[in-house]
Amino acid sequence: MEAVEQLIYAGELTPLRDRMIAELADVNTLCATYRSRIYRYALLSLRDPDLAETVTQDCFLRAYKARDDFRGDCSVATWLTRIATNLIRDSTRSRKFQFWKAANSTAAEVGAVADRLRSPGLSPETFLMIREELRGVWDAVENLPGKQRSVFLLRFVEEMELPEIATAMGLHVGTVKSHLHRALAAVRKAMERAR
Amino acid sequence: MKTNHLSPWEQEEYVLEQRTPEMLRHLTECAGCRAAVARLEHGVAIFRSAAVEWSSECLAARPQQFNPSAGRRLPVLALRWAVAAVLPVLLLVFALVSFHPSSTRPVRAVSEISDDALLEQVDQQISAAVPSSMESLTHLVTTEDRNGQVGTTSVRGSKHIVQTN
Repeated sequence: MEAVEQLIYAGELTPLRDRMIAELADVNTLCATYRSRIYRYALLSLRDPDLAETVTQDCFLRAYKARDDFRGDCSVATWLTRIATNLIRDSTRSRKFQFWKAANSTAAEVGAVADRLRSPGLSPETFLMIREELRGVWDAVENLPGKQRSVFLLRFVEEMELPEIATAMGLHVGTVKSHLHRALAAVRKAMERAR
Repeated sequence: MKTNHLSPWEQEEYVLEQRTPEMLRHLTECAGCRAAVARLEHGVAIFRSAAVEWSSECLAARPQQFNPSAGRRLPVLALRWAVAAVLPVLLLVFALVSFHPSSTRPVRAVSEISDDALLEQVDQQISAAVPSSMESLTHLVTTEDRNGQVGTTSVRGSKHIVQTN
């Protein structure tokens, strides 16, 4: 019975998998579709534009090389996110990254980004308040543990569903939810401090 | 006394879109909980806006597209490093092979020549019947005059020196 089910499953999955592998083989389209997303995830995880670019390039390179190993049990986006997650984890473990993280400050970039969020309709007081809130949330997210930060970014920036995040991170959905609650609690505290 | 307000966990559940009918009902009635939830959503929203803005700006400065042939850059890069590492060694070996023997060979040759010459000279000295220091004496002719006096005559060129006692 199990063998029959497997055959049915494989029969249903194979055309989809073939389409996905074809999508992976078309590198230019793949990049055009997913590059900004993978780069953003890497950038916000690493807070380093150059390293994020390297991770993005490596992600597509690995996906292209391993396209025949893709099982088709998740979307291409989720698969790419999983590869990127592993690359980001490897990067953050390196001593070089630890050194530069300690040496660099993101305060300047937060200020620059906040300035661009200025809307003509905002009063200076409101803008300053938003800026302080953003600084608090920005720092809070940066100081989250690795998995919590990744889960937070995937949920609230990339707007992925919890099962997709679970697949991309190799976690259970319950664990993903737990990480999200902790991350949101940290964000809440940061916003309370900013007020 | 148990309050009916949403707990922080429930507020987070709301933001995570895990919403129950009770939650929604309470939020329609409670301005405080509504404000708390809105504040949390606002924090997430400004973070997302800033993140997307920053990422777009960084990405705009990097118009590079992925090229699968870039996969070959690693071997090429490794090859360059290998060449860079091996080149000094090759130069050193070349220098040893080229310059070291050529610089020592003439010295050896000269020393061999001088040794040979010295040995030949020694042979000549040894094989000579009379040492060179005494060679001039061989040219002396011993003469005895009629009076029984002994004299020596040095024959050197055309000049004859006769010593008579």
